[in-house]
Amino acid sequence: MQNITLGQYYPTDSFIHELDPRTKIISILMYIAGLFFINSFSGYITAVAFLILIILASKIPVKSIIDGFKPLVLVIVLTLGSNIFMTNGSIVLFQIGFIKVTQEGIVRTLFVGIRLLLLIIGSIMLTLTTKPIKLTDGLEKLLSPLKKVGLRTHEIALLFNLAIAFIPTFAEEIDKISKAQIARGANFSSGNLYTRAKNLLPLLIPLFVGTFRRASELAMAMEARCYSGGNNRTKMAELKLESKDFIASLLAASFLTLVILQSRGILF
Amino acid sequence: MSQSQTPNLRIMVFACLFTALIMIGGYLSFPIPFSPVPIVLADFFIMLAGLLLGASWGSASVGLFLFLGALGLPVFAGGKAGLAVFFGPTGGFLFGYLAGVFVIGLIAGKGKSSLIKDSVALIVGNMLLYSMGVTWLKLALKISWIKASALGFLPFVPGMIIKIIVAAALIKRLRPLLQSLITDQR
Repeated sequence: MQNITLGQYYPTDSFIHELDPRTKIISILMYIAGLFFINSFSGYITAVAFLILIILASKIPVKSIIDGFKPLVLVIVLTLGSNIFMTNGSIVLFQIGFIKVTQEGIVRTLFVGIRLLLLIIGSIMLTLTTKPIKLTDGLEKLLSPLKKVGLRTHEIALLFNLAIAFIPTFAEEIDKISKAQIARGANFSSGNLYTRAKNLLPLLIPLFVGTFRRASELAMAMEARCYSGGNNRTKMAELKLESKDFIASLLAASFLTLVILQSRGILF
Repeated sequence: MSQSQTPNLRIMVFACLFTALIMIGGYLSFPIPFSPVPIVLADFFIMLAGLLLGASWGSASVGLFLFLGALGLPVFAGGKAGLAVFFGPTGGFLFGYLAGVFVIGLIAGKGKSSLIKDSVALIVGNMLLYSMGVTWLKLALKISWIKASALGFLPFVPGMIIKIIVAAALIKRLRPLLQSLITDQR
């Protein structure tokens, strides 16, 4: 539990890291939207080229990116498997019983796989280059126009930040309590269903009591510091758009435009 | 400071607490042979969120968890992250989390609390969760209902029973504690 790494942020000095989080969020949305417009080989070439450009500009090692999507390997394999074995086609390459592989299935699997991989890596790049607290700041700013329709954007951002801040604390608490109980002879992994359930109580009850009290103390501390919601609040670190942000947004918009034109057959 | 701020702020903080616990529960992931759906503790904390926070704030807590995962934070089972998980074979379970917590909170929140009602809420919520997960799994992998159930439901029945028992046992002690802390009547 102590090795939990949230956000996968990779600290370095790069063009991508220095961008405003709003720019990165909007750009990633345009990138994802663009992926779903792709319907040709040339479109995939464009997407791959754009992604390579992002990776180079971020100065993040390829190994870190690969580590980021390792947990998703099973998802990828199963998604591709469902395509390669379930797609009907006229050219059957081989067949074993009801399982058959067709040329159309392989082509479809290839395209689905590339799209999925591009989607995953794009998402990973966002969190590799942006601290979680910056992400929530960016989201709050982006959602601020929705205040006019009653959405409490500051409170939503606060929820994000608090949830993220709680994680290392609770992970440590779980470790501490479980080790203390094991030292007293607790066994969490043997016995029948009832025994296992019963044995979990010495871990869970102190965990919840401790975390509940900590949460209550946090709320009290916030109140004591005159926290009263988002109205009239100021920020210690204001977000500012710079010329590099407009350049990055323009590049993302260009990518989206290009793949749309390609999907319509206007461009090769 | 207005007194009306106190309950809202405190319930918000507790919602964040449960979001964090759900995230940690996602890290505690145990793969099962031949199944794409691992055993996690996230659904256990989701059950408690529904029972303790109610339908609205419980849903907010789970919604926050899903949104953070969609952004790319590695909070889904086994450290997964991103929109791709929603589109993958296990995406239905994520949507089932949201539906499940809402139903649990809705049932448990009606009238006076009792062990029977809490248990019914937990069972119904879990059935809804697994129904959505199995259905999604079936459609995503293009397999039969029997196969989808074998992969996405049957291996998790013992764990589900354990979690329901523990949650029902815990709620008796945690609910009064939470209520006292929220209203600052310690």
